[in-house]
Amino acid sequence: MKINKPIHTWQLKFEGEWPTSVAFLGNGNRIAAGNRSGQIFVWDLPDAPPEPTDDEKDKKNEKDKSPPNQPPSRRLDGHTNGISHLRASADGKLLVSSSFDRTIRLWDVDAPASGKAEVVLDAKERTSKVRYKSGEEKDAILNAPGHMIETVAATHTLEGHKDWVASLALGSDEKRIISGDNSSLVIAWDVETRKEISRWSGHQWNGVVAAALSPDGQTALVSEYRYKRDDFDIPAAALKLWNVSDGKERLDLLKLQFPKLDVTASTYGSAQMWRKFVKGGLLAAEFSPDGKLIAVGQGGETDTGKVHLFDSESGKLLRTVSGHRYGVCDVKFSADSKYILSSGRDTMVRICQCADGKEIATLGKERGGQFKDWLHAIAISPDQKTAAAADIAGMIHVWQLQS
Amino acid sequence: MHTMECPTHEHVSRRALLKNTLATAGGGALMNWGSLFNSKATAAEVKKNQKRCILLWMNGGASQFETFDMKIGRPTGGLFREISTNVPGTRVCELMPTIAQNMDKLAVIRSMKTSQIDHPGGIHLMHTGYSQASGIRFPEIGGVIAKYLGSEGSDLPNFIKIFSHGNTGAGFLGPKYQPFSLSPEGRLPSFSTSNLNPVNESRRNALRTFVEDSYASGHKAETARMHREAYDASRRLQNVQGVFKIDGEWDKYRDLYGDSAFGRRCLMARRLIEEGVPFVEVGQSSYDSHADNFVWHRGLLPPMERAWAGLMIDLEQRGLLENTLVVWMGEIGRTPNVNNRSGRDHYVRSWSTALAGCGVKGGLVYGESDENGVDVKDNPVSEGDFFATIYKALGIDPETEHYTGVRPIPIAPFGSKVVNDVLL
Repeated sequence: MKINKPIHTWQLKFEGEWPTSVAFLGNGNRIAAGNRSGQIFVWDLPDAPPEPTDDEKDKKNEKDKSPPNQPPSRRLDGHTNGISHLRASADGKLLVSSSFDRTIRLWDVDAPASGKAEVVLDAKERTSKVRYKSGEEKDAILNAPGHMIETVAATHTLEGHKDWVASLALGSDEKRIISGDNSSLVIAWDVETRKEISRWSGHQWNGVVAAALSPDGQTALVSEYRYKRDDFDIPAAALKLWNVSDGKERLDLLKLQFPKLDVTASTYGSAQMWRKFVKGGLLAAEFSPDGKLIAVGQGGETDTGKVHLFDSESGKLLRTVSGHRYGVCDVKFSADSKYILSSGRDTMVRICQCADGKEIATLGKERGGQFKDWLHAIAISPDQKTAAAADIAGMIHVWQLQS
Repeated sequence: MHTMECPTHEHVSRRALLKNTLATAGGGALMNWGSLFNSKATAAEVKKNQKRCILLWMNGGASQFETFDMKIGRPTGGLFREISTNVPGTRVCELMPTIAQNMDKLAVIRSMKTSQIDHPGGIHLMHTGYSQASGIRFPEIGGVIAKYLGSEGSDLPNFIKIFSHGNTGAGFLGPKYQPFSLSPEGRLPSFSTSNLNPVNESRRNALRTFVEDSYASGHKAETARMHREAYDASRRLQNVQGVFKIDGEWDKYRDLYGDSAFGRRCLMARRLIEEGVPFVEVGQSSYDSHADNFVWHRGLLPPMERAWAGLMIDLEQRGLLENTLVVWMGEIGRTPNVNNRSGRDHYVRSWSTALAGCGVKGGLVYGESDENGVDVKDNPVSEGDFFATIYKALGIDPETEHYTGVRPIPIAPFGSKVVNDVLL
């Protein structure tokens, strides 16, 4: 990955419920994003953004200038509750989505359309525009036609979970999927047959909040967490490596960090020790593409959420990098495993060198009042030239990493 | 100077007597005259019924949208889905499957509309029925129930809090009705157990009694009497220490109540009620979900609802539910809008509470909020109405008055209306 004066190229409107997930489909011009009501849209972007209009050029205030929008081209219909994650094959032909509707769906984004729909993704902007207008002008803006787009149905639905599917990963060999739910059940799936390979459960009080697969698809990294059940009734979080083939535990990374702690204890004092490392849950997890590193991000609303980097073989903590005020939302490695990208509750993407933790670039600007909006998820295009982030304010940001 | 034979808060002042006698003579309402002497008579009457109350207190304010008043498909709806209950047509949040199967025991009020939106004010309001006022210390519901349903001289306190919230206590009812607080784990406070061996403890008590008797013979001070009563109560507690040791019974009831700290507290409450304690408050904290509302409720509700349902089942199986009122509430509800921290803030224009047992119609939903849960659509219930309903269910007249000075203060605020529709 090369980063040199990144440019904010697109700001795609996805208003309504929070955008929660984003993925590139084959190249930097095709993007899928999902939101908290279960909608998934696909955008096909031109190679270059349009030239700014005269009005836009006239805007003196820099913050009034925003990158262009482009309506989506397709909507993927089927989920009935929030999308937790989107994962795509490198060629973009397979898209996998996990949802709080307890299912995982597989999509062929280029499948023949199942129908057409008119969509309005700028409702908030319309409401803002009519604030000082009335009568016909107001109605005209609010009721302006939306965009007609094609709808697509999922090719397959995986239904092994009985609770929110909060975690999803696709191995880089693209043969296996791992999913984890809010009852702590983990299921490993074979992509081709769509059958279960194995399943196992973590602590009965926990939920799976993040999961990742090693590049060879043989090892699963699973992060468990549950917000306290009471002030004095706090289950221990877990971060473990598991054998995908048989669901056997391989390594307990938190036990390595805190060998003297009783992981079955749920006392307040014990919980405080865990919290220093886990914060509001290690909510994002990734294997590096070379398989040597593991990254997990401290999430939940916390003072500053950081990213822990572990050696994947020994489980040793190598260093803690980055830092998002109020918590990390997502982490991704660059394809060369040299950089870790993280997004968070500070409306920022931070790019750090894995070798020494140095922050080499940031994308976005802090926005909001005391509490900022979140960049809920990030994605890097397969050619490593483009990055995208799902912004809870109802936008998908796209950056070209080299100017 | 002369001694008072009754505590100041129960004493009828000459001015009050004169005032009310004149009011009656002048054709005014009999209310005040009667109430001057009615509190003791009321207490004797209601004690015959052996009614009890357990308050399950959701500190911080549980979300109505994530419990009993879901708005599926609306912008305010949130992430959880509804499940059906054992009451046809009534649906609750998927996080409450055990409560869903015991919905026929509950009367849910979906139209609470109260007046205090912050925590201190809300905690006071929903423990007393009154907003805070300078110069008056209103008693908590537990103090009122201890007075009217408690037993004089019982070994166990009449007002017990397990993981207490709020510190208003007995207010103007006086120290006799103050709460006795257990730790979050249900342990007795350190002062309630003696480090001395029984012989030495007995000798020390004899010495203390001698000294206090000597002092009391020359000083008729109220505080001395209170101190002796408190000390006696503490000593009587030694006779019933076994009630607070639940480990043996917990093994048997863990599955019913769910393996949680809140479950243990609820089992402790049942044991205390069974032993004759008229009021027990059981607290669960941390519902103040300004951030990560859905994550927090996902953590807090399952152990709470399991314990709550287990408590009702246990009470029912022991024949105690028909005389034990189980109240579920916090101090506030939560906002329809989800903020940019994935949280819901404080809200009191429309929220939910629930009642069960003791003369309450089970399987009932009372009141309704509008389509987005922004305001009450039908049958608003104020804090006063809610407290009046609780007192009525327990056989206590909500209009019963106490006096601070000459001011009559009914146990539920003036103008409160009993929600008779939720009562049998």
